[in-house]
Amino acid sequence: MAEGMTYLAVAYLGMLIAIGLWTWTVFSRSNDLEQRLQAVERSIDTIEPEQE
Amino acid sequence: MTKRLAETILLLGFIGIATTLGLALLKAPSVSINAFESPEAQRIFYWHVPAAWAAFIAFGFLFVGSALWFFKRSNLGWRMHVAGAEAGLATGLMTVWSGMVWGSAEWGVPWDWTDVRLNTFGLLTFLAMFLVLGRQSQPDGVETRDTFSTFGLFGFVLVPVTYVATRLWQIRHPGPVIGGGDSGSLNGEMALILLLGAISFTVFIAGHMLMSMRITSLEQRLESIQEAMDKV
Repeated sequence: MAEGMTYLAVAYLGMLIAIGLWTWTVFSRSNDLEQRLQAVERSIDTIEPEQE
Repeated sequence: MTKRLAETILLLGFIGIATTLGLALLKAPSVSINAFESPEAQRIFYWHVPAAWAAFIAFGFLFVGSALWFFKRSNLGWRMHVAGAEAGLATGLMTVWSGMVWGSAEWGVPWDWTDVRLNTFGLLTFLAMFLVLGRQSQPDGVETRDTFSTFGLFGFVLVPVTYVATRLWQIRHPGPVIGGGDSGSLNGEMALILLLGAISFTVFIAGHMLMSMRITSLEQRLESIQEAMDKV
């Protein structure tokens, strides 16, 4: 009985870690894209006055 | 604003899931040792059922998004398609994996190829995997979107088939515990923890789909800016 509960606790923990990692990748993809977009927009802002 | 909202919803869902699993482990009543080969493994049900519920929500979202893109050429529809496919893959894998863990403990085998419910749900998860991996390997364009949307539309047929499978052909997967008439066997405490799990998974998957739609929108914006810069 106790052994079964230990296995179950490990399985639950594994699943929580898995969805935690998935959530983390979503957060980091979002932040990464935001930073890239800001960098591109900043570079456009600096190019435009030079062209004028 | 949308980002903060999506992140908050996602974190709330995650906390809810962790709470559900804690309650499932420590508070949920035990089942009869005569009814199950492995009574402790039955507690995996508090993960498995809400994950399957969330998967159906994700596949519904995928279907609506696919239809919106296919018939209305809606960009919002395409973002819904992408979010639904990603969420469907993740929750589908959670359901399949937890089911296999339980199957191994209870049946002695993780999978039964003769069981309709198992196979139709497995196919749905493979469909989501095909859509996610396919989109990443193909250049974005109308033809690509049309092809994947068609799969999203027709693949949805598997959702009602999966839902009624254990009612029509009960082979190995247990029958319905809710909405299954007299065969339901949940007591109040079990039902409450299951309800908390279903709500938590719904909130969690809603947060994920909002985040995913935002990511697709950012990708599209970045791509259009880069294309415009290339033309200059």
